[in-house]
Amino acid sequence: MGKKISAAAQLKSAESLAAAISMIDGASAEVSTRSSGTQDRHTIKGSCTPASWRELAETLESKHGIDYCSMITGIHWPDAADKTWEVIYHLMRTGVTDPSHENGIVQPNITAAGSLKGGKVPLEIEISIALPDTRTPSVASVQDIWVGADWNEKETWDLVGIDFDGHKRMRRVLNPHETPVGYHPLQKQHKLRYHGFEEMYDDVQGFRRKPADAGKVK
Amino acid sequence: MAEMWISMGPQHPMTHGLWTLKIKVDGETVIDTEPDLGYIHRGVEKICEARNFTQITTYCDRLCYASANTWSHAYIYATEDLLDVEVPERAEYIRLVAVEIQRIASHLMWLGAYGPDIGNLSIMVWCLREREMMMDLLQELGGSRLHYNFPRVGGVKRDLPHGFAHRARAKLTLFQDRIQEYEALFDESTIFLVRSQGVGYAKPEEMINAGVSGPNVRAAGVDYDIRWAHPYSVYSELDWAPAVERSSIKGADCYDRYRIRIEEMKESASMVLQALDKMPGGAETYHEPGDPKILAKAPSRAAEGTTGYHHFEDSRGESMFYIAGGGEGRGKMPYRVSIRSPMFITIPFAAKCMVGYKVADIPAIMGSFDPCIGETDR
Repeated sequence: MGKKISAAAQLKSAESLAAAISMIDGASAEVSTRSSGTQDRHTIKGSCTPASWRELAETLESKHGIDYCSMITGIHWPDAADKTWEVIYHLMRTGVTDPSHENGIVQPNITAAGSLKGGKVPLEIEISIALPDTRTPSVASVQDIWVGADWNEKETWDLVGIDFDGHKRMRRVLNPHETPVGYHPLQKQHKLRYHGFEEMYDDVQGFRRKPADAGKVK
Repeated sequence: MAEMWISMGPQHPMTHGLWTLKIKVDGETVIDTEPDLGYIHRGVEKICEARNFTQITTYCDRLCYASANTWSHAYIYATEDLLDVEVPERAEYIRLVAVEIQRIASHLMWLGAYGPDIGNLSIMVWCLREREMMMDLLQELGGSRLHYNFPRVGGVKRDLPHGFAHRARAKLTLFQDRIQEYEALFDESTIFLVRSQGVGYAKPEEMINAGVSGPNVRAAGVDYDIRWAHPYSVYSELDWAPAVERSSIKGADCYDRYRIRIEEMKESASMVLQALDKMPGGAETYHEPGDPKILAKAPSRAAEGTTGYHHFEDSRGESMFYIAGGGEGRGKMPYRVSIRSPMFITIPFAAKCMVGYKVADIPAIMGSFDPCIGETDR
């Protein structure tokens, strides 16, 4: 039938990578299983300290073939006990290499998906980094390791306000360029009008309602 | 000659949406570029924080007008990961049918827009004609023409209507024939070949490092596809392989990116036909909305501290949702929804691809990456 990777090989590969991540100071990882459709996916869920992130990222890219930065998410947790800011990296191993060529003719890379093993198996990796309570949260940039992280970092700073040390040409990407300094809309002090689910239905027309941040300087 | 910066956009036929491409030119040659996005930023991620899990599907449909179904499905898969819902197999088949028909419709919209970009106006009318067939099919499923709001957490809104399988088979078979007309119209058009061949080279490793995925990578001779590499749905039950294009040594050019989408449309059509044949219970059976065969029970609340994400093969590359659930007794709504848009990452890369080419090549290069600004700006 159709192409699919071997779940057993993926589990083995994920376990060895999780062990390798846990060897790094301040980082830990475990295999987590996600089921969707006909086949379970074994993914890696890890965390690390802001200080060891840069080393972890370099190791992942150079030694374990993690070649793709999918997404960077910033979260503001003003009321959480253990963190105020969190950055979550979703990385992937795609195993893509430039196709070989002979006499000027390129031979497309057709992967024998079922027989992929070890460091070639596609993997999903989630690394979360909790940042301490500060007005200027920041974490090391990985823009030079994965070019794909460049605009993700711009977006995370623009919307959430988490800065990336060493990021070149940081600027607003989704908000207007003239947005006031320090205004990052996804921070939780900026409330939406319909912040309470119940409120939304008790007063459907919205006659009694005011924006939660009415009268405040935005 | 003096160098200068020129703004292409926000209103420019090249942009396929509302954004600005700033180019630095030396005579006719592009020597630097800088994209400027955000013109239609609607704050969907923030809005989602104040909606419950069912309501958000509607917003996700509106992320991309050309490919609404793939976006709502990407969200639904992430939510099911968050809420730990097991989907009935029949519902997975119906979703696959909906997503692959949408992929064809999206690629047709792209082809119809790309032709006029580089001097082939007839193709637009032809593509919209076939896209109409696909939209009729999707309308039968979702009830509206552009934003279907079709998937539900745990399944789908409703079963395939009576006679859908018959009409889908007829239309897709007809489409498989007509796709040869497009190939004839493009591959034998000197204007098209001259403008698309040999411009906008991109190599696979470079693209993967830059976060580009989907058809744009497969155009460069690699078969990386999330549908097999990170399997979801029932793709592994069907007989298929991702379309791969034999590019040149320098990487994929605009012509390769056109070819790959033609091949993907053929692949998707064959997948839909197979799925209709293999559907458990048969494609002719009809279940009432809410039947457990097409809609599993799903919790409406997410426990605090749970997260879910899903990588999804969108028509334009890898789309992804990351959802953090619960928090402070508001478990019906997500605490944070984060959206990965393939085009948000690809546009900066495409802009870098133009460096060294002429200003006249810009529409050909930009268009070939299939930009959609609705999802880019969110």
